[in-house]
Amino acid sequence: MTAITLTVNGQSVNAQVTPRTHLADFLREHLLLTGTHIGCEHGICGACTVEINGEIARSCITYAVACDGAEVRTIEGFDDDDLMARLRQAFSEAHALQCGYCTPGMMIAARDLIRRKGGLTGAQIRTEMSGNLCRCTGYVGIVRAIERVMLARPTLSLPTASPRKPQLGPAPGPQPSGSTAAETKAQSATVRLKDASAGAKTGTTPRLSAGSAKKRRRIKVETGSVEASGGATRLTQAFVLEHPRVEVWRLMADAEAVARCIPGMHLDGPLVDGRAAGRMEIALGPIKASFAGEGLVVSFPNEFRQVITGAGGDRKSGSSASGEVAYRLREEVGPAGEDLTRVEVELSYSLTGPLAQFSRSNLVRDLVSRVGENFAQNLDARLSMPDGAEIAPARLGAASLMWRVAVDRIRAGVSKILGRPPS
Amino acid sequence: MKPVAFDYERPRTLAEAVRLLSTNADAKILAGGQTLGPMLNLRLVQPTLIIDITRIAELTRVEEDGEAVTLGACVTHASIEDQKIVDPSNGFLAEVAHGIAYRAVRTRGTIGGSLAHADPAADWLSCLMALGAEVLLTGARGKRRIGVADFMRGALDTELEPDEIMDGVRIPKLSKKARAGFAKICRKSGEFADAIGAVLHDPERGVLRLVAGATQGRPIIIDPATCPIDMNFPPPLGPVRKKLEQSGLAADVYELNIHMAAIARALDKAHAQ
Ligand SMILES: Cc1cc2nc3c(=O)[nH]c(=O)nc-3n(C[C@H](O)[C@H](O)[C@H](O)COP(=O)(O)OP(=O)(O)OC[C@H]3O[C@@H](n4cnc5c(N)ncnc54)[C@H](O)[C@@H]3O)c2cc1C
Ligand code: FES
Ligand code: FES
Repeated sequence: MTAITLTVNGQSVNAQVTPRTHLADFLREHLLLTGTHIGCEHGICGACTVEINGEIARSCITYAVACDGAEVRTIEGFDDDDLMARLRQAFSEAHALQCGYCTPGMMIAARDLIRRKGGLTGAQIRTEMSGNLCRCTGYVGIVRAIERVMLARPTLSLPTASPRKPQLGPAPGPQPSGSTAAETKAQSATVRLKDASAGAKTGTTPRLSAGSAKKRRRIKVETGSVEASGGATRLTQAFVLEHPRVEVWRLMADAEAVARCIPGMHLDGPLVDGRAAGRMEIALGPIKASFAGEGLVVSFPNEFRQVITGAGGDRKSGSSASGEVAYRLREEVGPAGEDLTRVEVELSYSLTGPLAQFSRSNLVRDLVSRVGENFAQNLDARLSMPDGAEIAPARLGAASLMWRVAVDRIRAGVSKILGRPPS
Repeated sequence: MKPVAFDYERPRTLAEAVRLLSTNADAKILAGGQTLGPMLNLRLVQPTLIIDITRIAELTRVEEDGEAVTLGACVTHASIEDQKIVDPSNGFLAEVAHGIAYRAVRTRGTIGGSLAHADPAADWLSCLMALGAEVLLTGARGKRRIGVADFMRGALDTELEPDEIMDGVRIPKLSKKARAGFAKICRKSGEFADAIGAVLHDPERGVLRLVAGATQGRPIIIDPATCPIDMNFPPPLGPVRKKLEQSGLAADVYELNIHMAAIARALDKAHAQ
């Protein structure tokens, strides 16, 4: 529990909240201000619109703790507001509500629009109001009501701008304090002294450092078409390494060494009879998952071919994944007659559980070619290094293809890529 | 639709925020929460600690020098829309800001949060790549500066190290005669785009740059160095189309056409200035 103090509709409120309580729940359940409605709870519909320090905001994706020190105004706080009184009357006359569910958010957003802008056409009003959805689809009446009040705008006494200092960040923002700037300087100096040790303590997997990646030769990875059938997604990749096939095979036949080149892959111990336990860590943007499970490696040395299969589960999302990577090495000759190796990779995977809605994604190519590039780069780095040299394990938001699923659910709201219907 | 339980810290300085981030493996930065909030509510993200950076004064700074304006990472889309900042762009940034999401999202969503999240369809990514802006990063190992184009590695993937915070965005000042245009194609206003076109022509500074954004991965940057066009404005569309085809849009005619349409609209807007 965290103690917060804020002003709600002009009254000071002290409360204890859990950090995960969003402002809409806090208003409705702690303060019983049920005029703030909750529709989608992820920022799309606008039913939960309130004012924070004089600017409208979504209360479902703003946490109550973050409003410590803020001034919040809900629909209950507009009783004495002239502009809102005009809007109430216009909404009633223009038949701008049916069930009334969207109405509190609609009216707060409409009042804010008229406060900020005048002289808009009906079409412009629709655009400006597009962040508030009416599930009864009564938009004609809503737009008409707003148009009416906007026409009368020149004769209205509009809410005056607040005397507060203009706020450039999300409200309430930094509280005035003389020492802050000085504090910052002193502390950043200490942090820099602590330097690498601070980073080392984090326990996060270091990714390929940008610096070393840049110095390395960039390897071009061709990604073929992506196919989805029978619940599995299949794709092919190929790249060329400037090393003779025997050398590449020596490395690639060593499944442990190969695992170390795959971004996000960790083995728990050495391979026994071609089997090993381990986990695949995935980070896509802020989303993280860790699929723990078992893998099996089967080699076909005569064909310079190896097949790795694996399956595992992610405890947090309750999903499981299985997949297969098959690679084959072909000899090639470079322009100067040097021995090269073309690595052809076939990859397939499938998912069950909450992530099973996953199907072929527009993103797959981008993500997979990046995993492939990292993999190829890491192989190349290992081949070019003296025996036994270690390369840092890589972290990449890439095997994360599967997360497209999850992300699909935040359709339209959070992200477009996440938002595209699977094709 | 409730997030998992998490702890909450509200540092007052950037150094303190970096310290918290580098000593907690499962921590997440919270800026405006307009992307993180939905992800938390849907439990796509399950952090143990949330570090709210909105009370750090340095992150809402506005600094100006001869060549550029630096905005703190926590400056909101609405503050840019309302031109509360020093504007390096002759009004271009305000126009782009107005097209992002809805007013109630813009009042809390921040320029830094948008870049750090790196959705390929984020308006600021394409816009700031066209302007040639840079991001300023602060981590336990010190500070660094990277061009926005290099900062984004792919969809939702950036150069940010796990212990790094973006503290600002440095945006070059456009010359008086520069023209800039931005076009966003989406089915519903305020939504993430299906295609973005962004254009900057600034002959005094020797810049002509076109950006095709809202692709599957990084926005595609087109300039005389990478495409057979010269500094004349408007550039011919043939080579631009070819470049988009070569950059991965050839496979899907709809994708190619909609991105060409966005670029053509952006050029029209820039022409009109
Ligand atoms: C309904 C809706 C519609 C939207 N439409 C659009 C649109 O059309 N176009 C568009 O571009 N955007 C759109 N957005 C997204 C919006 O612009 C977000 O505000 C923005 O992407 C994220 O900014 P934020 O400050 O809210 O970041 P947060 O949600 O707080 O954080 C986002 C991510 O970035 C990280 N982060 C934030 N700040 C920093 C920092 N300074 N340093 C390091 N990491 C950081 C966080 O840890 C998190 O992973 C929409 C959002 C919603 C809810
Ligand atoms: S409930 Fe907040 S936007 Fe839908
Ligand atoms: S009146 Fe029913 S949701 Fe709008």
